[in-house]
Amino acid sequence: MSTSSRLLSPELLSQLERLELVSRKVFRGRMKGERRSRRKGQSVEFADFRSYVPGDDLRFIDWNTYARLERLFLKLFLEEEDLHFYALVDASPSMDFGQPTKFHFARQLAAALGFIGLVRGDRVRIETLGTPPGRAAPVFRGRTSLWRMLDHLEGLRPQEQVSLAEGAKRFCVRNSGKGIVVLLSDLMDKAGYEGALRYLLAQDFDIYMVHILSAEEIEPDLQGDLRLIDCEDHDVAEITVTAALLQRYQQTLSAFVAKAREFCVRRGIAYFLARNDMPVERVITGYLRERGLVQG
Amino acid sequence: MNLELANTLSLWQWLILGLVPPATVALYFLKLKRRPVEVPSTYLWHRSIEDLHVNTLWQRLRNNLLLFLQLAVVALGMLAVLQPGWRTHVSPGKHVIFLIDRSASMQAADVSPSRLEQAKRQALAEVDQMASGEVGMVIAFSDTAEVRQSFTDSRAELRRAIEGIQPSGRSTSVLEALRVASGLANPSTSGDVDVSQPAALYIFSDGNFDPVTGFALGNLDPVYRPVGLPESENVGIVAMNVRRHESRPDELQAFVRLQNFGSRQAQGDLTLEVDGRAVDYTRFAIAPGESHAVVFNLGVLSSGVLHAHAAAGDVFALDDEAWVAINRPRRTRVLLVTPGNPDLQRGLTTSAVQEIAELTLADPASLEDEAFVQKMATGQFDLVIYDRCGPKQMPQANTLFIGRIPPSGGWEQQERQSVPQIIDIDVSHPLMEWLDLGDVDVVEATPLRVPPGGRILVDSNRGPLLAISPREGFEDLVLAFPLLDHSAEKGMIYATNWVVRRSFPLFVFNVVSYLGGRRLSGAGESYLAGQQVTIESPVPGKTLTVQTPSGHEIALPETTGGKFTFQNTDELGVYTVFSGGEVVHRFAVNLFNAAESDTRVKPRIEIGQTTVAGQAAPRTTRRGIWKLLLIGGLAILLLEWYIYNRRVAV
Repeated sequence: MSTSSRLLSPELLSQLERLELVSRKVFRGRMKGERRSRRKGQSVEFADFRSYVPGDDLRFIDWNTYARLERLFLKLFLEEEDLHFYALVDASPSMDFGQPTKFHFARQLAAALGFIGLVRGDRVRIETLGTPPGRAAPVFRGRTSLWRMLDHLEGLRPQEQVSLAEGAKRFCVRNSGKGIVVLLSDLMDKAGYEGALRYLLAQDFDIYMVHILSAEEIEPDLQGDLRLIDCEDHDVAEITVTAALLQRYQQTLSAFVAKAREFCVRRGIAYFLARNDMPVERVITGYLRERGLVQG
Repeated sequence: MNLELANTLSLWQWLILGLVPPATVALYFLKLKRRPVEVPSTYLWHRSIEDLHVNTLWQRLRNNLLLFLQLAVVALGMLAVLQPGWRTHVSPGKHVIFLIDRSASMQAADVSPSRLEQAKRQALAEVDQMASGEVGMVIAFSDTAEVRQSFTDSRAELRRAIEGIQPSGRSTSVLEALRVASGLANPSTSGDVDVSQPAALYIFSDGNFDPVTGFALGNLDPVYRPVGLPESENVGIVAMNVRRHESRPDELQAFVRLQNFGSRQAQGDLTLEVDGRAVDYTRFAIAPGESHAVVFNLGVLSSGVLHAHAAAGDVFALDDEAWVAINRPRRTRVLLVTPGNPDLQRGLTTSAVQEIAELTLADPASLEDEAFVQKMATGQFDLVIYDRCGPKQMPQANTLFIGRIPPSGGWEQQERQSVPQIIDIDVSHPLMEWLDLGDVDVVEATPLRVPPGGRILVDSNRGPLLAISPREGFEDLVLAFPLLDHSAEKGMIYATNWVVRRSFPLFVFNVVSYLGGRRLSGAGESYLAGQQVTIESPVPGKTLTVQTPSGHEIALPETTGGKFTFQNTDELGVYTVFSGGEVVHRFAVNLFNAAESDTRVKPRIEIGQTTVAGQAAPRTTRRGIWKLLLIGGLAILLLEWYIYNRRVAV
């Protein structure tokens, strides 16, 4: 495995290889995957018996049981299928802040999760919110697709001027299937993030919300009299930095985060607040593992 | 303490300085051109500043503490340029001696309420200025000095001492006060307080005293604080007395002399009251510096209180009034020592004599009595008549010797002469008033040799028959012939026919009247303030009470000899002496002091070789606070810097 990628280090890759993505919902994969589905299917792993009904595949009748009980039972096997994994990255200019940038962090996280999916044979699709409706991002599958996936990620630029809700809507239109959606965004949308999440909920996705904030946003390092310019809509806020104002900002930020968390938790969305300066491996092996997105 | 500002800048400099505050505000708004910072989103910031409303001008100003602090620094700087300061008293020194004049002239009302009150106020102000650790002493002086408070650092004590100073009607003499101050400021005589350091000597006075000579200030640092106005108009009564009329001795005349001490012509009314009843009045007009005498005819007046009041509307009331007390003459106490002389006794018991005298008879044998001699030596009698006898020692009284000469004093008798003829009578002497001795014959006489200083009243062809000579404040009258003679054959015989002549009772009356002291009294008694008054008790052994003009009663301690000394004559007016509830005597105390009546405040006083110029205002110094202002400005600047950094750091 090459170590040339800026997004994933070899050490991380070796750690991620042992993990797999877990969905809290039962999905039907389009292709057989390396994943044990909760659906009963054609794998070598026995799951259960059930009574035979006419029309069942005769190959799965358990003849031994018939010999002993003179009743027809059908052997059920666990289905091994693939998982649809979507990483939906917010590529708005506001993500292009921080050291490293929030966008870079989002891409790293998307790459790591995508790699886990690729290793387990899942369908991995990484999209940005601003992806036009007619041009869906490529689907990656299999370990060999890693480089294509990373190239795809490298090619993304945080220059999309699209609202969260619009991006989510477009995503839902493009991807009708079930699966895991990890939304990587800072949720800094003056129109609100609730609409976007509702679109995703409506599609019955298993949604993970990774709320990425930069250290500068959590603890602003501002001094004096400033004219704050919004990088997206060039809105201006004139402030004089005082202890009172900073305290008020902290209160606002806490309220904002708490509201987002409550919104997600109420709707079964796993919410996770991440800082841009967190190590990705710690996020994956720590927080996301706790949340059940990955296991292994 | 009033704030004073000293302008040290010219107009254009002020204009430049005046631009600083607007420039500061302008710079503040320039500074408000905020530094643009691109942020991911202003979403949270907008929500944070919603309540703060920092965008309105007022809010900006209100919230910008730094601007205010900067403006405060500028304001303090401008104030410092103005050099604000206070006039504060110069600390007089570690030791302060307050000399406060309480003489009569300090009661002038040219400053309200009076000069003395003003002086006390100024002294109290000085006391208030004294720093802790400084000690002060208070001396009140008029013609005498009184230490009201010795050196103390207690301001309360000093205040009490100053406030307790009462005015007096006395004259002014600062020398004694200076000596007291010098004595107390002398390290060798001071007590607990070390006064080897120079002491400040504050003299609160109008300077109405003569230059002090023969006094060295030494380590006293004099400060003369004149109290009163330099130019003050005053007309005062400088003299008042009562005399018998020249040609009508029964009648009295009052003489009042007024003097104008002002610089303008003075006019006014002079009223004379007797026992509170106005009896006469005159208008006067006196040129500046001149005096004016007024004579009032009082007629026959045996007793009463004369009160002269000059109304000229001046500032000094004390010398506008004068009093004279006329006491009913005391009855003369006459002792007649005689072996028996009915004619003389008859002459001494006429109604006219009895009115003015009381007679005591004694036998010549009693002259040998020790107690009697002692009694005469203490002045129990005004007049002692020795008829054909004489004492071994002269009594403390006037005497009349009949047919004998005094044992001392240089009297001598000549040879006995028969039928001397009276050739000359000294009618100018009061004893000889109205006497016609032309019809008097004398059988025998021993003419006199009159001692030096004596005066022959009746001369004969054989020598002096009646002469008078002074003796230690008394007078001895000697008659060279007896009135009665004793003859072995005939018994008592007349030695002269004078006793049956009309002139004899008149002579006796003159003797009692003149030698009994009646002629000397009768005129009004008047004393100066502070003068000692000797009061004779009419009844020896009885205590006396003196009521001052203000109504205080002072009991006099008993003394031997029936003479009392009264010294509390500070107050002007009429003093009444009571004995057993009855008025026995009255006397008046008047100012009659041209120096005190001259109420013009002296601009400088002379003490020894030093001339001390008056300082109307307290010695002050300017205590500037510009340094404090600049330090305050610096402190505010530091505070501003701290706040700025604190705001930046959070």
